[in-house]
Amino acid sequence: MPSVRPSIVALVLAVVLQVPTAPTDAGERVELPGGEFKPVIVPGPTERSIHVAPFLLDRHPVTNREFLAFVRAKPEWRRDRIAALYADEHYLSRWSGPDDLGPDARAGQPVTDVSWYAARAYCGAAGGRLPRWYEWEYSAAADEKVADARQDPAWRARILGWYSRSAGRPPADVGASPLNAYGVGDLHGLVWEWVEDYAGLMVSGDSRTQGDPDKLTFCGAGALSAEIRDDYPVLMRIALLSSLEARYTTSSLGFRCADDVMP
Amino acid sequence: MKKSLRRLVLALLLLGGSALAAAAEVQGSTPLPGASIYHLPVTLERVGHGEVPLVSLAGSPVVITMFYSSCLVICPMLTVAMQKTALALDPSQRAQVRFVMVSLDAERDTVAKLADFAADHHIDTDQWVVAHASAGDVRQLAAALGIRYRRLPDGNYSHSSALTLLDARGVPNGRTDDLSAADAALLAQIRALLH
Repeated sequence: MPSVRPSIVALVLAVVLQVPTAPTDAGERVELPGGEFKPVIVPGPTERSIHVAPFLLDRHPVTNREFLAFVRAKPEWRRDRIAALYADEHYLSRWSGPDDLGPDARAGQPVTDVSWYAARAYCGAAGGRLPRWYEWEYSAAADEKVADARQDPAWRARILGWYSRSAGRPPADVGASPLNAYGVGDLHGLVWEWVEDYAGLMVSGDSRTQGDPDKLTFCGAGALSAEIRDDYPVLMRIALLSSLEARYTTSSLGFRCADDVMP
Repeated sequence: MKKSLRRLVLALLLLGGSALAAAAEVQGSTPLPGASIYHLPVTLERVGHGEVPLVSLAGSPVVITMFYSSCLVICPMLTVAMQKTALALDPSQRAQVRFVMVSLDAERDTVAKLADFAADHHIDTDQWVVAHASAGDVRQLAAALGIRYRRLPDGNYSHSSALTLLDARGVPNGRTDDLSAADAALLAQIRALLH
């Protein structure tokens, strides 16, 4: 069974600022065992699998309630004060005010319209960091019963169904769908999520780059090639992340935090 | 008074204080523009000059790139592109521009290794800034410069290559990924900042 750690900083913030604490188990962090994993994007030209070290991951994406407590504690991240370097003009635009959620942003919804810098600052303040891509992908490979459901056509169809349904609509509250085998929820079907190393995702869809002048823009072994070409849900994530810049925000992009497991 | 204050602010910064305070000090009373990359609380460990805050680059136009010293193909081209850009400027113009190379390889590119790299490529590290930064600082700086990179299992990096021009206050003002020659557009943008 995965163990659970409450996010102490979030609780302290909530008490200090008298923000109501989450009625659900939002803010909990789950320990994942890690291990050998075959990612969709291979780590190198000859490597097919990676070792994921044990890590902690938030059970759910960070909510509007939690992010509001953060900007109240760290006003430099309010949308009316944030430096343009750190976020585009749509930052937290669903909220009715810099310090107020208003009717269009429910407290239990995942926070969206946040930049990589803001997500990273939140996780730092909450005692953690953003998950790395491989950690996210490893976590998201599980369904409710097995750790790696990626080859299960029914699971894939379900995920794809979620993605087609959620497009363009404000996200539901976190915690509404069943937790996966690791005890983590909402990895699919709610929002896209930032990862610490989003800038490491450079997709070259095939090997035709040989002799292509574009190849010169990449050092070392060149851009990475996708290994499992029919894992559409993960490829969609990668396509999105590889198109982002650190200050971008979108109405369907949120995040959750992770941390190392202390020995 | 002002000098000692500046020293105090820099000392605080090196102890982990806010770069914003130093930024405000370096810039006098004018705050940095919102889009300035000098907001980043990044510390550079310079070859020959110790640790300096990123914001210490403020005050003159900067041409900045990210690379790693063990890279055999693109990075030497990046270095040459920087050098060609510098040489295309008149000496008086060149003296007003800072050329900055920050390593992506926080793990292996120690300052000593970067010093060897600079010597091998005849880079004067009093004129140019050749620097190491922590992995977290590399990530933030690369993000601000729009440089994508990934460490490969063999220790090499896959990364995008570009020269970015910053104005005196750290706002990006031009960019090129043409490494074959001194980019004419970039040179024009540099010269425009000098007048």
